[in-house]
Amino acid sequence: MVTLRNGYIPETLAEALKIRSENQVVPYAGGTDLMIKAQPSSYLFLNKLSALQKVEQDGDMLHIGPGCNYTMLLNHPAVPKVLKEAMIRIASPATRNRGTIGGNICNASPKADSVLILYASDAELKLSSIAGERIVPIEEFFTGRGKTILREDELLTDIRLPLKGLDDYYYYKVGARRAMAISRVAFVGLLNTENGKISRVAAAFGAISDTVLRFREFEAMLLGKTLAEATALKPAFLAKYQEAIVPIRGRVSAEYRKQVCMNLLADFLNSNGI
Amino acid sequence: MDTISTPVKKLDHDLKMSGAARYTDDLQIPDMQHGKVLYSSVAKAIIKEIQLPQLPEGYVIIDKNDVPGENFVHIVADDCPVFADGVVTYIGEPILMLVGPDLKKVRELLSQIVVVYEEQTPEIDFRKGETFFYHYEYEKGDWQKAFAEADQVLDETIETGYQEHIYMEVQSMIGMKDPNGKITVAGSLQCPYYVHRALQKALGLGPDKVCVIQAEMGGAFGGKEAYPSILGCQVAVAANKIGKPVKCVLDRRDDITVTSKRHPASMRYQAAIKDRKITAIQADIRYNSGAYITLSPVVLQRGLIGAMGVYTFDALRVEGKAVKTNTVPNGAFRGFGGPQTFFAIEMFMNHIAKAVGEDPLPFKLRYLAKKGDETSTRGRYHFHIPMPEMIEKVDKASGYSQKYQEYKNQSGRYRKGIGLGLAYHGCGFTGSGERDMIKGVVRLHKLANNKVEVLTAGTDMGQGLKTTFVKIVAKTLGIPIEDVIIKNPNTDFVPDSGPTAASRSLMVVGKLLNRAAEKLKEQWEDGEEQEVEEHYVHPEFMIPWDLSVFQGDPYPDYSWSANVVEVEVDTLTGVTRVIGAWGMYDVGTAIDYRIVQGQMQGGFLQGIGYGSIELMDVNSKGQIRNNSLSDYIIPTAMDVPHLQTDIVDHPYEGGPFGGKGAGELPAVGGAQAYISAMESALGTNLYKTPFSQEDTLEFLTKGAK
Repeated sequence: MVTLRNGYIPETLAEALKIRSENQVVPYAGGTDLMIKAQPSSYLFLNKLSALQKVEQDGDMLHIGPGCNYTMLLNHPAVPKVLKEAMIRIASPATRNRGTIGGNICNASPKADSVLILYASDAELKLSSIAGERIVPIEEFFTGRGKTILREDELLTDIRLPLKGLDDYYYYKVGARRAMAISRVAFVGLLNTENGKISRVAAAFGAISDTVLRFREFEAMLLGKTLAEATALKPAFLAKYQEAIVPIRGRVSAEYRKQVCMNLLADFLNSNGI
Repeated sequence: MDTISTPVKKLDHDLKMSGAARYTDDLQIPDMQHGKVLYSSVAKAIIKEIQLPQLPEGYVIIDKNDVPGENFVHIVADDCPVFADGVVTYIGEPILMLVGPDLKKVRELLSQIVVVYEEQTPEIDFRKGETFFYHYEYEKGDWQKAFAEADQVLDETIETGYQEHIYMEVQSMIGMKDPNGKITVAGSLQCPYYVHRALQKALGLGPDKVCVIQAEMGGAFGGKEAYPSILGCQVAVAANKIGKPVKCVLDRRDDITVTSKRHPASMRYQAAIKDRKITAIQADIRYNSGAYITLSPVVLQRGLIGAMGVYTFDALRVEGKAVKTNTVPNGAFRGFGGPQTFFAIEMFMNHIAKAVGEDPLPFKLRYLAKKGDETSTRGRYHFHIPMPEMIEKVDKASGYSQKYQEYKNQSGRYRKGIGLGLAYHGCGFTGSGERDMIKGVVRLHKLANNKVEVLTAGTDMGQGLKTTFVKIVAKTLGIPIEDVIIKNPNTDFVPDSGPTAASRSLMVVGKLLNRAAEKLKEQWEDGEEQEVEEHYVHPEFMIPWDLSVFQGDPYPDYSWSANVVEVEVDTLTGVTRVIGAWGMYDVGTAIDYRIVQGQMQGGFLQGIGYGSIELMDVNSKGQIRNNSLSDYIIPTAMDVPHLQTDIVDHPYEGGPFGGKGAGELPAVGGAQAYISAMESALGTNLYKTPFSQEDTLEFLTKGAK
């Protein structure tokens, strides 16, 4: 372990968790968000921890090390296309070489491009401390803008991404330009069928509210239905979202962002024959 | 065979590409102090009180009481104070500077200063403003009769928004005082002698007691034409007071908030139409000057001169006002008043064409100005105008005419559109400025080793001026480029060849260098130290410009452009992709083909940004909210992946080796091409820049407003 004036560089995960439990430290992965803030802090630099930089497939489950930067993940054959499509639109090559998926999650921005995909794909997060570990669904991790349930002694140590059914996806990011653009609206939709019936619907909206939005109770309306039945339910389904989506005011009008959400949601259904 | 156009490696290439170039912020001088300016946070107020924190030793306040000369920055008029004198008139007006050895501490102390204001109601909306700094009018032909006899009148208001330069290097300046009391200012600036004159006035010193040096520079686009005079006076006053060097580098948010931008414009155009032909045009134009005059009269003049675009009309009337508001003073920006009116007339011509049942291009072709025509201001187009040839080329490259037909009546999620925008840019200072005000002088100094130093006040801000000047001198003398020396200007050594602005440097100063080099060649003596000087000579063919009646030749010649943009609109989101952009330019003979291409591509992209994504506005309090790079969006290369530009080569006989103005031209024609493409995609008329994703979706949802 190396101790610096502004923090620590542990060489093993055990060391990192020990420091985390004993000190007030800000975990620092790629630093692309923290560098801008440049607050006087004590950092826990995680870049030497190879344990957090692995991608491992275990059957239908992909384990993504939160220390993997976007470039590593974009080049990895096991990472699903939908996640790659969201990550390639993040900032610029320089930022993608530094920024990590774990940092994207823990920064807890509702505009985080990779988090949107993790929401829709029912990913889970493993949070570890010297006392043990817990696994939480990604939706439970976030409690607000910039806020998570991560305890002061914990680190995010694994992202568990179920791979099944991710091939058919609908993804769209509205940025102010083609690169170097923060999401104004981001949408991902997944729809799977089994034996002619809808076995999975997931629709997630980024950059709209304090966290990524996903409404499982609305999605349930279509589960177990045939496409024809779903088509009949479509107006009622869309009406639910029309009521539920209330974008937070921002530089780009709430009215515009809402309209985009509704247009994309309808087009997502449409593209699936609903 | 190599010609003057054959590209060479830019003289500053290695320095800048290696990272070795030292910009103002990199410069360290012994005992240097750091200054930060406190800016007004309200748009209009009387300053009742300024409460200062306890200042540690070595930390000093600099304000109006420290200005030894007149507390005004000399630009066009002397109305803008160096530091506020009891009142503030816009958000961002400089009140005082805090100077000290540690920048962090300076920032901390600055944040503790409390200004007590007695606020007054500010004038924010320039559309409604009734105070005019300048008001010009001109007319030609019997426009009244044409309107009286018209069988159709088209009446539209077209608006353009702010545009911020976003030069990579923010405004930066260092002031220094030597033991004899001489003040030197070094920094990021376009016009050394503008700053020189401003310093004399603010410091109350003679010309030999002030010196201005241009440091390496990371971009300007016009943004460093006037503002460096303000910042220069501030650091000079500070250095004068404390006797130590004072550096001030603006933070990006401050730079966006307090420095000049492109003037927003509101332009009412009326056309008298008879038998489906235009018989007269009226234009009533307002530019938002902001709180002070700075460069507004000259910007407005250029805008008004170009109000009829690239067309000849027999009857017209143009009126223009520079409106005073309690917002940041607007100023020079690549195109200098041109992008506003050229946008308006191009959109208006599209709309007239459609109103008489024609497609825009064939309609526009019939009104194109040509050699020999009388200009709007009763001057003359003295030289060949290659516009038909350029349009033909750009049409062929882009497939404009065919695509314009194909893209009518589209349906489906993605809709394509294609648009064409035409523009010119008058080369050189407007009116008789070159003859009456600037009177440019250049010198060539030949050393005993037969190397020749170029002495001008011309500044290279990335546009390649050092390289093109050296090429002109080397080619004229018939010596290798390596034997010509050029350094950043220092007013102690270089004559006043005028500002680096108005697309004048290559054509006007370059011509002076060309003549100086010819003279030196005649007198050349190997191994001798020699010096030659050249003075500006006004082209005799020009019809004298009279500003009082707005008549005559405002420029000796013009550079021309034809621009096409193709877009694809996603009707579900309003997101628009530029799928192609083609530009054809006439800049006379290119003095360096690659440099010209770089200028054309960068300027065109800047023009497309102006039309599409560069959105900035003030709120009802006069505050600019888009003051960071994440809120004020400029295009990257990714946004226009297919950008194709080229030039036609028609030498201008008044310029060096046939060259004329190039730098600003491409920024004048981009927005109208983009918005025309949006009109084609959406099947409607549009009236403003920028036309954003939000505007697009709103139109698609609700229809035209």
